[in-house]
Amino acid sequence: MIRPLELIHRLEQSVGRALVGKPDVIRLAVIGLLARGHVLIEDVPGVGKTTLAAALARSIGAGFQRIQFTSDMLPSDVLGVAVYQPDRGEFVFKPGPLFTNFVLADEINRTTPKTQSSLLEAMNEGQVSLDHSTYPLPRPFMVLATQNPREYEGTHPLPESQLDRFLLRIRIGYPAASDEKTILRGAGEHALHAISPVVSVGDVLELQDVVERVRTEDSILEYLMALVAATRASAPLALGASPRGSLALLRAAQARALADGRDYVVPDDIKTLAVPALAHRVLLRTRTDPGAGSGMDAESVIRALVQDLAVPR
Amino acid sequence: MIVIGAAASALDLLYLAQSLLDGFVRLLLFLLLYRLYTRRSLRDGRDVGFLSFFMLVAASSVTFDVAFLFIFLVFLVLGVWAFMLHHILTEADRVAGSRAAAATARAHLAPPLLALSVAASVATLAATAAFFFIIPRVGQAALPLRARLGAMVSGFSDHVELGAFGEIETNSSVVMRVRFPDGPAAPERLANLRWRGIAFDHFDGHSWTVDRPQVSALPRSGAGLFDVSSYRGVGPFVTQEIYLEPIGTERIFAAPRLLKLGLATDAVRIDEMGSVSVTVPSARLRYIAHSELEPATRQAGHDPVTPAASNVESLDRYLRLPPTSPRVGDLARAVSAGSHGPSDAALRLTRFLSNEFRYTLALSRQTQLGPLEEFLFVRRSGNCEYFATALAIMLRSIGIPARLVNGFQRGEWNPYGRYFIVRQRDAHSWVEAYIDRIGWVTLDPSPRAGPGAGPSPLGLYLDALRLRWYRYVVNWSLRDQMSIAAVFQRETSTWRQRLFEARRFGDLPPAGAAWAALVAGVVALLLWRRLRPSAAQPTLRVPRFYQRALRTLARRGLHPARGETVREFLARVGAAAPACAAPLARLTAGYEQTRFGSAELRTDELAALDLCLAELERPAVP
Repeated sequence: MIRPLELIHRLEQSVGRALVGKPDVIRLAVIGLLARGHVLIEDVPGVGKTTLAAALARSIGAGFQRIQFTSDMLPSDVLGVAVYQPDRGEFVFKPGPLFTNFVLADEINRTTPKTQSSLLEAMNEGQVSLDHSTYPLPRPFMVLATQNPREYEGTHPLPESQLDRFLLRIRIGYPAASDEKTILRGAGEHALHAISPVVSVGDVLELQDVVERVRTEDSILEYLMALVAATRASAPLALGASPRGSLALLRAAQARALADGRDYVVPDDIKTLAVPALAHRVLLRTRTDPGAGSGMDAESVIRALVQDLAVPR
Repeated sequence: MIVIGAAASALDLLYLAQSLLDGFVRLLLFLLLYRLYTRRSLRDGRDVGFLSFFMLVAASSVTFDVAFLFIFLVFLVLGVWAFMLHHILTEADRVAGSRAAAATARAHLAPPLLALSVAASVATLAATAAFFFIIPRVGQAALPLRARLGAMVSGFSDHVELGAFGEIETNSSVVMRVRFPDGPAAPERLANLRWRGIAFDHFDGHSWTVDRPQVSALPRSGAGLFDVSSYRGVGPFVTQEIYLEPIGTERIFAAPRLLKLGLATDAVRIDEMGSVSVTVPSARLRYIAHSELEPATRQAGHDPVTPAASNVESLDRYLRLPPTSPRVGDLARAVSAGSHGPSDAALRLTRFLSNEFRYTLALSRQTQLGPLEEFLFVRRSGNCEYFATALAIMLRSIGIPARLVNGFQRGEWNPYGRYFIVRQRDAHSWVEAYIDRIGWVTLDPSPRAGPGAGPSPLGLYLDALRLRWYRYVVNWSLRDQMSIAAVFQRETSTWRQRLFEARRFGDLPPAGAAWAALVAGVVALLLWRRLRPSAAQPTLRVPRFYQRALRTLARRGLHPARGETVREFLARVGAAAPACAAPLARLTAGYEQTRFGSAELRTDELAALDLCLAELERPAVP
């Protein structure tokens, strides 16, 4: 029998040695892992996106591949390719870098939509289909994609429908002054290389199973559904959250409950995760649209919705 | 100390105590006091509780008064309360480990807990009562323990002695209670109602005794009753259900003439004058008597009824005169001169005594004469014994057989329980005279004393309660249970029949319609509660401790907002009132676990939450 809370704490501590001063971000990444999801890390360069992904992978002792996306990459560069073997007279599949446990898809918005969608399909299905054959991906399989929201030149931003495939969107943000000092001292850099596995792949799979059994009381489900319905009816939003969004929020909430040492979901789980789980799935009306809020982004819209919604008591 | 106590109780049990029970009770008392004196922990309190329970059990074997019911009820409520409190305190100790916190909990829990324990006691009582009335009653197993039943109060006496002086004190303790289970409708209006106990035939000038105390065992008839005499068809027939207190006599009392007797023993004896005695104390406590009363409108000398043919007893001994002066006989003849027959003469003598003489309880001796002569010729006042003795002797001196009877007057009618309360002060003596062609006739020469101050309605009500206690608890028997079952069966079959016959609801008898409506209402209420829309449920599902916490905080102006989760509320409260943060945090965790988790809180966890509540409700230090 594993002790979920202890394992999760060990994992978080391990990652925390590399990514200094960002426990909330680490918690979100762990939630993404436990909920069998993929996370999109969106922030300016140099705040530790890659460090987070690498530290997570190393702490588990699982396979880790980094794919640096560029505009000339093809789907086969990611998925793999069937190579003709003349001696055997047949095509043999040569797996690409995707066939591992943790994939860091760096700057995913720099590659073409064709390559993006091949990756996203693999993320969703947990398998790769190529030339009438299906190749299952190892488990656990988690993609940590990063993108820089401030650079638009030469990028192909992911459309909302594609973003829906990510369980959570995480923003890291700049570190606090004291933490930055620690980073400057080189603590994080050395720590990343010093990280050794603290939990096993088997532990992670088991934790993922435990998450699905976390109790969700009826009123919590109703609360979640009311929240999703509110995004669909909200005036500043052109497109609300999909049912996949509801499911993602639920799984994330269950994972958060487990990471918090509970075997039941409380409203706070939903409320805290509403923005990371839903904000990237909704489509804001443009400013020219009638009824659009002035100067609101999706995150603040979701935040306002969740603040107004009656909490189950 | 323990060694001394053990030795003392062993000694007590073996040699000193009158009965084993006494010894045990003293031992219990010693243990109880010892425990109270050396009380240190909660465990000792629990021991005291158990010891007092044993005391109660011991008490139950020596008393069957209704007072026991009250003591039992008080014990039940307090016992349940103490038990709950003990449990909560131990749990709280285990959780909090701090005496101070437990003390606040004590102050804080007391009133609702007492209410809860009262409710629990009521439920217990209802369940136990159901068992009591349903489980077959076999015998009265505890009765032999009541060894001292025979000798308690002495007031009624088995002999009558004249010549004692001084003020007779009126004793108002209750001797017996008489119900009339089969009617008549207004027993309080019955004439000639007395409770006959013992008859005397021999007077030696000072005291009355029974000359030939020959007793014979009464045979039991087929119906399980004892036949005393046969019905003549003259007076009204009444059935009495008599609850006799233990008054230190074997005699039992009933309205004259006693016909049949229903008793829970075979040891029933009767002497030649119809005095019935029962030697088994427990059988005297309740019995049934069927009597034929004397007709209210007896006209002297015009009674057409012939005496019973079986009446072959010799009347000589009822004519024997004591060695008194002839003045008594002269007076009798003077008073009865010119009367038409013995019946009229007896009536005249009775009227003479009751009209010319005064009733008093203060007896003083004024001459050296015999007591009868002093009463008749000097003092001309006395109590009922003097009146009755005077009448009996005067009747004998003019040739009418007469005997003295001791018993009780009818007593006081209790309208609440519809029965007579007979007290010691109702003890009475009267005369029975034998008139040819009629038989023994009751004559009461004593002038009726004015009615004393009756007991208050409350007193009567309490006494009625006591009678019901005797009837339905102490004397609840297998036969009662069977008769109840029979009544139930009969009623239900009647009901079924009527239900089938009734075409419309209005055809049902009103009581039945009321019952049907009541049952339908209860069913509807239960259904409604079960099927109530879930809209009302969310507020119901919030556990009580959290509701209370919210109320407490609301008094300080802190309300959770609509979109605010309990944790956010907790953070806000922590900022506004830092003292509340810690207890509210635990309450919030408890709330979340109960509300959204699957596991119920354990008792100790609940107790800990109560401590938190107490902490939260403590007024803020300015």
